[in-house]
Amino acid sequence: MRRRQLMALVRKDLRLELRTRETIVAMVLFAIVMLVILQFGFGTRDDDLTRFVGGLMWVTLAFTAVLGVGRSYVAEREQHVLDGLLASPVPRTVMLGAKAIAIFLYMTAVEVVVIPLVGVFFVKGSYWDAIGWIAIAALLANACIALSGTLFSGLALFTRARDLILPVLFLPALVPVVVAGAGATHAVVGGSPDMSEWRGYCLFLLAYAILFALVSIATYDAVFDD
Amino acid sequence: MTDGPARVPGQRAAAIWGVLATVLVVVSSIGVFLVAPEDADQGIIQRIFYFHVAIAIASLVAFAVACVAGILQLRTRDERWDDVGEASIRIGLLFSVLVVITGSIWAKASWGTWWVWTDPRLVTYLIVVLIYAAYFVLRSSVEDDRRMRYSAIYAIAGFASVPLSFYSVRVAESFVHPVVFTSSGANMPGSMLWWFVVSQAAMICLFVALLELDLLGRRSERALRRLAMRLESA
Amino acid sequence: MVTARGLVHAYGERRAVDGVDLALAPGERVALAGANGAGKSTLLRLVATLLRAQSGTLEVLGEEIADGARAARAGIGYLAHDPLVYLDLTARQNLELYGDLYGIDDRDARIDDLLDHVGLLGRSEDTVRTFSRGMAQRLALARMLLHRPRLLLLDEPHASLDARGAALLDGELEAARADGRAAIIVTHEVERVARVADRLVVMRAGRVVCDESTDGRDPMAVRRRYEEVA
Repeated sequence: MRRRQLMALVRKDLRLELRTRETIVAMVLFAIVMLVILQFGFGTRDDDLTRFVGGLMWVTLAFTAVLGVGRSYVAEREQHVLDGLLASPVPRTVMLGAKAIAIFLYMTAVEVVVIPLVGVFFVKGSYWDAIGWIAIAALLANACIALSGTLFSGLALFTRARDLILPVLFLPALVPVVVAGAGATHAVVGGSPDMSEWRGYCLFLLAYAILFALVSIATYDAVFDD
Repeated sequence: MTDGPARVPGQRAAAIWGVLATVLVVVSSIGVFLVAPEDADQGIIQRIFYFHVAIAIASLVAFAVACVAGILQLRTRDERWDDVGEASIRIGLLFSVLVVITGSIWAKASWGTWWVWTDPRLVTYLIVVLIYAAYFVLRSSVEDDRRMRYSAIYAIAGFASVPLSFYSVRVAESFVHPVVFTSSGANMPGSMLWWFVVSQAAMICLFVALLELDLLGRRSERALRRLAMRLESA
Repeated sequence: MVTARGLVHAYGERRAVDGVDLALAPGERVALAGANGAGKSTLLRLVATLLRAQSGTLEVLGEEIADGARAARAGIGYLAHDPLVYLDLTARQNLELYGDLYGIDDRDARIDDLLDHVGLLGRSEDTVRTFSRGMAQRLALARMLLHRPRLLLLDEPHASLDARGAALLDGELEAARADGRAAIIVTHEVERVARVADRLVVMRAGRVVCDESTDGRDPMAVRRRYEEVA
């Protein structure tokens, strides 16, 4: 039953996204613009930014995540559908899980573009042999972003100025993800990969995801309990 | 009606904690600045460490109290737990700002610069300040029952973020700068440790006293409002 | 089917529902009337488990709401001002979603039946965005009936239903009496609802000020009675 509800909610989000193409396209474009802005913001004509590649990638992904997470209940809110979901016998944790899966998939779609692009734009040395390790760290980071993002977007949903509230709530919580994501990236990029360092950051991301999963499951009932 | 001045519950507790905190703060100040031995390497500036670390730990206690109050608020829906949560975070946030300021002074004295990104304590407390400052942004943008619930949830999620921030900064630190600063820790001489314990106790008592005072203020305000309402309807 | 005692819900200091007692037996259809802001929609949302009462007890379909809201939800059909469907999904996709959320076994057959019943079978593959207001509300009617609810909660249904939808709803309410389903119909148009309701409950300032049977009474007489108390 829960599985069926979960699948139905995820399928609904993907169907809406496929029909309107509102979120993913905007997220990808935003991420590319971010990369370009960051490059110019550095004020350097250096073609090889290997030293900063983790920062470039993860700052971009963090801001893109805020953008994507901010869209996560837009259809429900603007079309006033939320009451329909809340009046149905869906456990709130299933709603949480479905939204988290949707955000996870959106972030993955963005990274499919961003991670190779970072290599093309900023790294002239070794990058492509490490892309698998970066991808694994990115998937773990996506789980972190999806779980904490779903919780914070639920909190911001009925606040005034929610578009402002969400980044203020969400970005400080994302700092550890950026630290670990950038750390894991730097560990494997630019030759002589340090796998124990990479593993350390990945384990940290896993711990973050587990902790936020527990907090979200424990509190999500209360988010919608008017 | 009772005779004499109206009493609000908790007055006595607030007074006791207030006195205790005052005494301990005075004693620890005297001890730290006049009695404790001077650090051989760092000189007088090392004395700020007693307060810096004690306030840091007291602020963590405050955030832990807010987290527990959040859990209890969600369980009972009692607005008094919301009061405890908000007051604790207010005090904890004030303490965290003090941690950043004292840390910055220490950095200036030790390394000649107001800010060092390689000092994990400084950096994590900056993140902690940002996390809990957001708590008040959230509160101000939502009302009534939702405000209490959202605040409680955020107090819980925020407290989960704290160890993550601490740990992430330290993980990064250990990889980038294998040498870790240990001007604190267990390798203190005995008398220093003793004065540290006293200042720690002082700061925790200060937190409890401020909390009791804050709650007392809220209770009096409520009692006053009830009284006004009764007078109006009479 | 519904037992409420001393129900209170406040928005801040303002008590929208202020100590309401209400009991509903199977087959009963209640017209819930009152001026704007009298608390009728809030009461309906409390019964629909969309709001939590700050005090009082509420039992819906044999479940104490404080601890069994989810079990009760499976038996409630809620029709709101908004159709509660996604504009960018087709009529069928919306019903499939709700069918899965309610765990309906004969989902696809049931959806075909209902789409036919509300006259939308020919438009089932169109997105709701292309629907008129009346059509969307007829889809909402299908959504409400999808899981065969035993308690119908209707918030001003006649305000947004077209003539065809209104006729369908009246038929449904007629049938409800025979099947032992209960209904609460929040309304302004008392005389309109009096034809299908057998009880009138009037609220004023968060309280129930009138609760009486209207069985066999002339709709206009019910209207006059409402204007007396409201």
